[in-house]
Amino acid sequence: MEKLFGIPIDQLMVALLIIFSLGIAVMIVVVMRNRVIFKLAVRNAPRRRAQAILIVMGLMLATMLFSASLTTGDTLTHSIRVQALQEIGEIDVVIEAEARQTSGQPSYYDEAFFHTVRDGLVDVSEVAGIAPLITEVAPVIVPDAGLNEARVNILGYAEQWMSGFDRLEDKQGGILSLSDLAHGQVYISNMLAEELVVSPGDTVYSYLGSVPTVLEVVGLYEKGANPSGDFSLVMPLPQLQELTGNENKINSIIITNQGDSVQGARHTDTVLSRLEPILEAGTLEATPVKQDALDDADEAGSAFSTIFLIFGQFSIAAGILLIFLIFVMLAAERKSELGITRAVGAQRGHIVRMFAFEGAIYALVAAVIGSLLGVAAGWGMVRIIAIAFGQADLELTFAFNWQSLVLAYTMGTVLTFVVVMISSWRVSRLNIVRAIRDIPEPTVSRKSIRGLILAILLPVAGILLTVAGLQGEQLAMFMLGVSLVIIGVPLLARRFGLPDRAAFTIAGLGVVAWWFLPADTLESVLPEMQQGMEMFFLSGIMLVVGAVWTVIYNSDILLGAVVRIFGRIRGLPPVLKTAISYPMQNRFRTGITLTMFSLVVFTLVVMAFIINSMTVIFEDTERLSGGFDIRANTSYANPIPEIRTALQKSEEVELDDFQAISSLNGAPVKVKQEGTDQEFTDFYLQGVDSSYTENITYKFDVIAAGYDSQQDIWQTLQEEPGTAVVSAYLVPTKQSYEMGGPTLDFRLEGFYIEDETIPEVFIQVQDPFTGVEQRLRVIGVLNQEAFYASGILTSQETVNSLFSQPVPPLSYMFQLKDSVDAETTAKALEATFVEHGMQAEVMAEEIRENASASVMINNLLQGFMGLGLLVGIAALGVIAARSVVERRKQIGVLRALGFQKSMVQFSFLLESSFVSLLGIGLGVALGAGLSVQIIDAMKESFAGLTYQVPWVNVVVVVIIAYGASLLTTYLPARQAAKIYPAEALRFE
Amino acid sequence: MQNSNIIQATGVHKSYNTSKVTVNALRGIDLSVIRGEMVAVMGPSGCGKTTLLNVLSGLDDVTKGQVVIDGSPIHTMSDRQCTRYRAEKMGFVFQSYNLLPVLSAVENVEFPLLMAGVKQSDARRRAQEALALVDLSEEAPKRPAEMSGGQQQRVTIARALANEPAIVWADEPTGNLDSENAAEVIDLLCRLNKEKLQTFVIVTHDLAVGRKTNRILRMADGQIVEELYMDAN
Repeated sequence: MEKLFGIPIDQLMVALLIIFSLGIAVMIVVVMRNRVIFKLAVRNAPRRRAQAILIVMGLMLATMLFSASLTTGDTLTHSIRVQALQEIGEIDVVIEAEARQTSGQPSYYDEAFFHTVRDGLVDVSEVAGIAPLITEVAPVIVPDAGLNEARVNILGYAEQWMSGFDRLEDKQGGILSLSDLAHGQVYISNMLAEELVVSPGDTVYSYLGSVPTVLEVVGLYEKGANPSGDFSLVMPLPQLQELTGNENKINSIIITNQGDSVQGARHTDTVLSRLEPILEAGTLEATPVKQDALDDADEAGSAFSTIFLIFGQFSIAAGILLIFLIFVMLAAERKSELGITRAVGAQRGHIVRMFAFEGAIYALVAAVIGSLLGVAAGWGMVRIIAIAFGQADLELTFAFNWQSLVLAYTMGTVLTFVVVMISSWRVSRLNIVRAIRDIPEPTVSRKSIRGLILAILLPVAGILLTVAGLQGEQLAMFMLGVSLVIIGVPLLARRFGLPDRAAFTIAGLGVVAWWFLPADTLESVLPEMQQGMEMFFLSGIMLVVGAVWTVIYNSDILLGAVVRIFGRIRGLPPVLKTAISYPMQNRFRTGITLTMFSLVVFTLVVMAFIINSMTVIFEDTERLSGGFDIRANTSYANPIPEIRTALQKSEEVELDDFQAISSLNGAPVKVKQEGTDQEFTDFYLQGVDSSYTENITYKFDVIAAGYDSQQDIWQTLQEEPGTAVVSAYLVPTKQSYEMGGPTLDFRLEGFYIEDETIPEVFIQVQDPFTGVEQRLRVIGVLNQEAFYASGILTSQETVNSLFSQPVPPLSYMFQLKDSVDAETTAKALEATFVEHGMQAEVMAEEIRENASASVMINNLLQGFMGLGLLVGIAALGVIAARSVVERRKQIGVLRALGFQKSMVQFSFLLESSFVSLLGIGLGVALGAGLSVQIIDAMKESFAGLTYQVPWVNVVVVVIIAYGASLLTTYLPARQAAKIYPAEALRFE
Repeated sequence: MQNSNIIQATGVHKSYNTSKVTVNALRGIDLSVIRGEMVAVMGPSGCGKTTLLNVLSGLDDVTKGQVVIDGSPIHTMSDRQCTRYRAEKMGFVFQSYNLLPVLSAVENVEFPLLMAGVKQSDARRRAQEALALVDLSEEAPKRPAEMSGGQQQRVTIARALANEPAIVWADEPTGNLDSENAAEVIDLLCRLNKEKLQTFVIVTHDLAVGRKTNRILRMADGQIVEELYMDAN
């Protein structure tokens, strides 16, 4: 993986290492200047081992999330690289004609040009080999056995030029030489041999044109045929030239650089720059295939890491709160020690340093464990992704590199350390006398200057943010700005006598109501606002903070209600009251723990709702398939002249079985939007026939003005040449949820998918061979549910007129009558059109496979986000352990007053249950609430979406979260129950 | 005589605001202590003894009034200046010993010296001398948990004396000790007062302790209501 969040990993790592090293260096200097403070920190760290373990566990979580995300990205990068390298081997650069054939295959050019290139590069030491090549794709069949493979890479090599490239090797490592082949003889890949059940000596038929070519298999190779996929066939170049009717012509020149298959890419720029003058005048272009493949792999890996890091934000936020809580509680535990330290001359800065040193020790250890555990978690995630990718060709191989480990370690340590510094600063602000005597800090006076400044600053900052959000049309900024005003105004009113409860309740409820505001309400007032993934994160944080505030400042009502409900159970009221009173008395720590629990449960519940809804979408296969049942592709080398006629003659299928048969033609073109400064970019233009436009059920997100209905658009597309519809991904949206991945070369501009109508938008389409151009007026933007309509769609007539000749259809879509079985028909179609290389897929099945992979990835994301639960659970553990120490004397009093051991234990368990259940309840309620909005928003793209409660998923989340929290507090509760009253009462 | 006052408090008030009530802990204290004097502050619980000690020593701020220590107005000092002043000029002895549990006896004693910027080697030497002064040289490497209450309080006294402060503040120094250890500790304080000519302000309930000082200040309801000079001392 080379980049993260768009920043090169190397640079990110160097920056983090510099910050990390600077931090360590500063710390060493401070230690040298003040060893006793460091000594205190070092000796404080292991004082309570169990607590130290909990702290390390809490601190390591953020690092673990970083590490797991990066490991997953590394694995993907590595796996894609491996696959790419298998396909292109030693080849670094390929020279092909700029304009491809309408079939999409490279065009042929004079073989003599190979010698020109060779002569031009003769003195370039970085080049290890140059060779001419023909690559074709055609169906290969074994008629007797009824077996076929629709897309086989057929390669023609000139062996005398192949030094420096991979050699054809059989399974035993023996080299297969092309000079051993007679006319009509070929080598084939082991995979193809297995598929067709052939061995040396057998005969296969290849359809490089409408007439089959009989080829004798002489040997099987395991590797060395590059560039190609698993199914390939190799013959001498002259033989393939003859078979394709291209004597003295080739369609590729391949170049390999010095160095192994990966290292060779280093010389790409040098080779390309030397090729530039050679290719300048002609119509050929050099493509750095190796470098491109490596870049693509890196981009994919980086996109995956980014997705996981984005979804891990809530857990990381919860982790930050945990670090804060841990240090505040550590300070509470050592309050009188801190007081005396200050009394005998330590400055606040010394206290900050003492905690910072201790925090740094924990952080350094925790980050090591976190980054290693993250690799393990990444391994687990990769296993699951591998199953999800089971349908795809990609074989995942677990991998991680040391840069990622260092990156995760430094990111984790730096983040932890920053939070530790902030918490240390907070805990250093203690009153010496109260600390020495261990008296609780009084509530901050509402009349303090600091409080006044904050109360004024908050709404002012809110107004500024709101205005900035409105001007920049950024929804997140606007929402946050208004939230600050909602919070700030009651807090300011508090200065003028508004009671605390009223102020915080108004602020909390106000924020919740604001973020629950239905999306369409806001959209109707502010239609231009743009939003992205940050909205999910922000809305989660704000909703949870608002709700927790409201609950904490109304705890007495809650306490009363709980006691009234459960108070009738004999013996329960005293236990219940102590269990609920304590957490409600410690508003700060309870609030933080509640926030952590609520945040994590909130994200899990929202994710559960999204997964559930997506599953519902994928279940409606008819909607996604556009009303068709089977899609099929044929070989460009041997297109079907007239499919209806062919079907009439077919013995395998009945023409009557089909409700509709639609065909799609298409060709590579160059496109750009008219009236913009865009450059022409390569694109694939598709042409549909009238059967397609009459039967397709896909809907449009936005259509051009002047059209009455969606059907009008399809009809116009067919009847009016020069019109086109485009996929949603080609149009900008105000809701940008992109998370890395490859960037698009071509995208329309000047309007949004959310607009009422499409303005006058024209796409200029150019035939790359002739340079002939045509304007296509965009009349519709397809809905995202248009699963099988991708890119730019126009009519077949428009495609034909652009190329001034009929472009044969290579894709088909079939609508079956109700009683006809799709799977059987698909097989029958393949058998009927075997020589045309037809590959037919049952669309419903394909959608379901896609759905299962997508749901699995979503589940994985949910599981990954669930790691954040560990944060909440660790927080409860820390609090429970601390409470036992803190309340030792009070436990003694309770025991003296008649509390049984079991009642003490029960009270502790009830206390953590109260906090965890309240957190879980808030998380579930807020998550379910926000899901209504999210699903409403998603409905714009997926009309079939419905709001359904994922009961099973939610119940599982609740049980796991609550069960784990009970387990964590069990030990401290038992410890509390074991306290002897007499001992506790004299405890200091 | 005015010039030899090491502590000069004028019209000192201290109030605590809780969310519901305001507690006036000190109500206009005027007090002066001369250099080398040993003063006991006595009175019933809640009369403001410890609060007086806290505001005079700069551990807590005053609500109103002035506190001048050795010519320096500590009521106007910033937290940082006041902390520095404490580290250099004052020593503290508390009822609950309040030693740092993770440091050994000698490390506890040298701590304020290091905070005051004394070199490590000097701090260690002076800490050992202070421990010798309280007869605890042998216990120097021990941590507080390994020592008796009396020993811990003597370490606290050594810590208070290590930086040779002008004033030692002691809050119930014998409160947690049995009578034998209490007598030992108070004798030690008296001896040091005489030998080092340091000023001692001791908050105590124990009349036996008060009798050993030069003057007893009796407090009630946040005010000094009586001053008794102990001629014998």
